[in-house]
Amino acid sequence: MLANGSEVETVLSIRDLAVTYGSGKSALTAVEHVNFDIHKGETFSLVGESGSGKSTIAKAVLGINPTSSGSINFEGTKINGKLPQKLRHSIDRKIQMIFQDPAASLNERATVDYIISEGLYNYHLFDSEEDRENKVRKMMEEVGLLPEQLYRYPHEFSGGQRQRIGIARALIMQPDLVVADEPISALDMSIRAQVLNLLKKFQQEAGITYLFIAHDLSVVRYISDRIAVIRRGRIVEVAETEELFTHPIHPYTQALLSAVPVPDPKLAQHKKLIVYDPKIHHYENDKPSLVEILPGHFVYCNKEEEAKYRSELAAVAN
Amino acid sequence: MADVPEESKSGNNMTDDQLTAADFQRVDLDSLATEKIDTPKYSYWGSVAKTFFSNKVTIAMLAILIVMLGMSFIQPLFSGYSLTDVGKINDLAARYQWPSAKYWFGTDADGKSLFDAIWAGARTSISIGVISTVIVTVIGVVVGAIWGVSKKIDRVMLEVYNVITNIPVLLIVIVMSYTLGNGFWNLVFAMTVTSWLGTAYSIRVYVMMYRDREYNTASRTLGTPTLRIVTRNILPYLTSVIVTQVSLSLPSFISYEVFLSFVGVGLSQNTPSLGRLINQYQTFMTSYPYLFWFPVIALALITISLYIVGQNLADASDPRTHM
Amino acid sequence: MSEEEQKTILKVRDLSVEFQVRGKTLKAIHHVSLDLHDGETLAIVGESGSGKSVLTKTFTGMLEQNGHVSGGTIEYNGQMLTDLKNDKQWVKIRGKEIATVFQDPMTSLDPIHTIGSQISEVIVKHQGKSKSEAKKMAIELMGRTGIPDAAERYGDYPFEYSGGMRQRIVIAIALACHPKILICDEPTTALDVTTQAQILDLIRDLKEEYHFSIIFITHDLGVVASIADRIAVMYSGRLIEVGTVDEIFYDPRHPYTWSLLSSLPQLATKDTNLYSIPGTPPSLYSEIKGDAFAPRDPYALKVDFEREPPLFKITDTHYARTWLLDPRAPKIEKPEIIQNLHERIEKQMESDFMKRAETEGEVNAS
Repeated sequence: MLANGSEVETVLSIRDLAVTYGSGKSALTAVEHVNFDIHKGETFSLVGESGSGKSTIAKAVLGINPTSSGSINFEGTKINGKLPQKLRHSIDRKIQMIFQDPAASLNERATVDYIISEGLYNYHLFDSEEDRENKVRKMMEEVGLLPEQLYRYPHEFSGGQRQRIGIARALIMQPDLVVADEPISALDMSIRAQVLNLLKKFQQEAGITYLFIAHDLSVVRYISDRIAVIRRGRIVEVAETEELFTHPIHPYTQALLSAVPVPDPKLAQHKKLIVYDPKIHHYENDKPSLVEILPGHFVYCNKEEEAKYRSELAAVAN
Repeated sequence: MADVPEESKSGNNMTDDQLTAADFQRVDLDSLATEKIDTPKYSYWGSVAKTFFSNKVTIAMLAILIVMLGMSFIQPLFSGYSLTDVGKINDLAARYQWPSAKYWFGTDADGKSLFDAIWAGARTSISIGVISTVIVTVIGVVVGAIWGVSKKIDRVMLEVYNVITNIPVLLIVIVMSYTLGNGFWNLVFAMTVTSWLGTAYSIRVYVMMYRDREYNTASRTLGTPTLRIVTRNILPYLTSVIVTQVSLSLPSFISYEVFLSFVGVGLSQNTPSLGRLINQYQTFMTSYPYLFWFPVIALALITISLYIVGQNLADASDPRTHM
Repeated sequence: MSEEEQKTILKVRDLSVEFQVRGKTLKAIHHVSLDLHDGETLAIVGESGSGKSVLTKTFTGMLEQNGHVSGGTIEYNGQMLTDLKNDKQWVKIRGKEIATVFQDPMTSLDPIHTIGSQISEVIVKHQGKSKSEAKKMAIELMGRTGIPDAAERYGDYPFEYSGGMRQRIVIAIALACHPKILICDEPTTALDVTTQAQILDLIRDLKEEYHFSIIFITHDLGVVASIADRIAVMYSGRLIEVGTVDEIFYDPRHPYTWSLLSSLPQLATKDTNLYSIPGTPPSLYSEIKGDAFAPRDPYALKVDFEREPPLFKITDTHYARTWLLDPRAPKIEKPEIIQNLHERIEKQMESDFMKRAETEGEVNAS
């Protein structure tokens, strides 16, 4: 999927994934025909609005949601469907998750010490009690918490601090892949940058790969290498970050971009909002698929649209 | 017109001109300084105690409860009361004495002190209540917790629950005491053999409510086994639910024993209990009313104080009341 | 902004608010003074716990049970709101004169009544119209707030709507009694980005049409650039800077405002580091001496830790509460990343599709 790299190592590879809830008449397809690869050490962002299926994909990767068809390969091993318990357990350590709501995702009746150690206990990732405590203290320092808060309870912390507890407990596991499900959207503006920088720091230090989920394009530009835009359970566009911001092709991506608030009074005055109307697509006869329209840049379109997009791109290039 | 009024001045005419140039020096940033937590340190059980003791009615009830319990478990050690003791049956002077300085609650047809009889009876009744409650709660919580997390067990247990809860408990107890015979432990067994299902069912409902919360999903992604999720993540949230269960079943088991003994099922003939006393003395309700009313009042004081103390403890153990 | 003298419809003077929590008295608002002009949009920007919501709740008498105004006054159109005692007196103001749109539309909607009946009920109650008249007006309002086929959707229930649609209904209900002031308490935070942009456009359009003033509460400075006339920045229950939208974006003076602007994700690109404000905002329990922001402020002075700064005047419309404005303070420039904010964002957008879309639009038009 990447234009120029043969030596890039693929950490996660999703092929033709579908997730369906319920069965029979009440069956609801949350996502279908999902295809993407995530390379080692990169941040791959999945951007879509509520109900787009982005969290469904995240949960499928973590093995929380059962998948109905397709495959999820992690470091060469198929990890969806029924797995031997031992394999499941060892993969669970390597894929960690950071949750959206730091108020709901921490056990209120446990101390920070237990919360951060929880994974360590499960995999016996320490030599002695002293070693464990050292690891926890070191991790707390890394995320900017004071080690003296070891025996505090989550609700005594502010939202930003809680989110850092959530990051600490995931990263102390030394995962290969971290799924960050809207990790900053419940946080205040002034705290968001803190958390993003922290995630970036860990990536640079430990080479962690991120699957970053967001509903807002403005946030992901800074952190992502590549972005996939998802709407109603289908990926409509995948491209490298700057490419997507400069040459968005799918009308839905364009609508999303135009909705990003412009923090400048002069420019904001005459900003135009593009509203996406799904009725512009005519897919009755000419069926759409994900087409590589430029190297590494994929768009969900049919033959007719592909021709149109290509001529538009040619016009811009001139 | 100014958007912000009088208070603002252009800086020069400060009222506090003791500020010197040194005050306007740059200070280095200590980025960890604001990470300190200023909220008061919170302790769950500390807050429970504080909320619990902040209610005056609760303290009064607790005092009554302590007196009743103390008397029931200490007084009989010294009184040497025996239900079957008929030593004074022919001592007419000792019989049917109205309450006096010597016999606080009077005496009965056998010349036995009612004061002694009540505490001996209360000891049995309370013991039955406490033991039954412990059994029901322990089994109920353990089974309910497993029931709530396993879909397979849920299917079986729901059937069991539906069948058994449709049989009246009274029927079960009567059948049991006829087959097993009367006696303290037989009664405890008969009363608890099915009633733990109720506790288990309500625990199951709560476990199911909590098990899919996000913090449990988080534990699962950290590889935490289900058993530990139940014990570390879910059961601690159910403290107030469990305390409520206990505070309801304690007085209800005591009343139940009283009722059973009153209708003549359950305890063996030589065991004193409040139910037996009330049964025995009900015929004197008009002639020697003290014989009937003192045991009833003792029973009421025990069950009401237990109930109120228990309910307030349950409220206090709900963190939402800790504000 | 405008040359003519603007009428002030809401005057807040030296307002303080206290809460009783676990036997402690916590001060949530510290001596805030603020004006709202007729027909303007005033944005109140601050993070959670800054007191921005608490402040506006005092305007409609909706403080929580354990809170009370402990000092200062609020004057609305010549009436002292701080003198109002009970709900009965508040009813004349709340909803009728000052309406609020909250973050979560579901909290303001009744799940068991149809959307239409909830709007017309308000019209009947506050404007004394007949039922059929009210229904007509409700349908018209629904249309105005962007509900397609309003007449057919009159009988729908809230759960049948998406978050954005529900928020439109809440706005319609708020406007049903023609309030003079509309308080928007983070009305778009819970919504998707595309919906958020649409709701902002809607609020702007409705304001033109119905001529009310807006108090727009948000934690996101990025959102207010397009909607606000003036901005008030709050931190830890204090008003730390107030000015016109241009003054706050192009000439901010308080280090906290600097930090808020610097950390806007729109300013960061892949290779630069995103500025982040260190530390955590103080809780209500914190004992604050001097400037509340000082412990997180890279430009803090010694005096900031000792004495609270007064509100310094910069222009007739621009005030900031920072010792940096004292003549004795060292000259400190705002951070580089926001020095040429306009040029920077323009440049960023130049390479962007948005710019392209605009020019393309012009080409097509000509």
